[in-house]
Amino acid sequence: MKKQHIITWVILMILTVTSGLVSQSVAAFVVPVILLLAAFKFIGVAFNFMEMKKANIFWKILIVGYLVAFIGVVYMAL
Amino acid sequence: MEATKIDYKNVYYPPGGILLWIIIFLELITFGVALIALVFYTKEDPVLFHESRLHLNVTFGTINTVLLLTSGFFMAVTVHELKQNQKEKAKKHLLLTMLFGVLFLVLKSIEYNAKLDAGFLIGSNTFFTFYWMLTLFHVIHVIVGLVILSSVYFGLKKKNSTTKIEDVEASAAFWHMCDLIWLLLFPVIYLIF
Repeated sequence: MKKQHIITWVILMILTVTSGLVSQSVAAFVVPVILLLAAFKFIGVAFNFMEMKKANIFWKILIVGYLVAFIGVVYMAL
Repeated sequence: MEATKIDYKNVYYPPGGILLWIIIFLELITFGVALIALVFYTKEDPVLFHESRLHLNVTFGTINTVLLLTSGFFMAVTVHELKQNQKEKAKKHLLLTMLFGVLFLVLKSIEYNAKLDAGFLIGSNTFFTFYWMLTLFHVIHVIVGLVILSSVYFGLKKKNSTTKIEDVEASAAFWHMCDLIWLLLFPVIYLIF
């Protein structure tokens, strides 16, 4: 079992529980924080579990570009 | 297990294969556009969307996220172990991958059952139309993923297995795609309205 996979999993669990807890708050910063936490989890899965960090820069730009565009449009549309 | 050296830095060989990555991006764009449409529809009736969202069980959604991410973790471990020629360990971890995928489906079924009992059907309102369409479409992907992983498992179980690491990587990429889609669905549908 690779140490890096375990570390990634632990961070993903912490971020998931944090998202659930933060969503119970009514503060104004809740939405951007939830979207940011989702983005970090997305990057964690894509780069560490799917091994995108080993891929060509083209694929890295594509996946990060997609994520930034999605989160950006959702945040602006709200 | 046939292990060939793949040059992932080559633009044509991303981990999992270029064809699968084209599919992954098409899926992400499809779900992404639908989720953005959901957000835009919120503006028509923000109160209705907020009240409808409150009927969703955030705890179930959070546990489902934990289950899928844990399944994804075991998938990544399986691929790593196969690359290290640790076939027996990899088979056990692949079973755990599938187990957590099945647990996700079980919890989703319980959630769906509660929604049906409460009368929140696909035609109840715009929010629930999106909820049912998007989550059911995702569930179909998880079921397809489980079928693919089962086929990989039985391939590995054979005495003279011809399963290549590229096949396992492609299956793993499909399975992780289900995680990626869920990581977008969960905050938008369950948390932000």
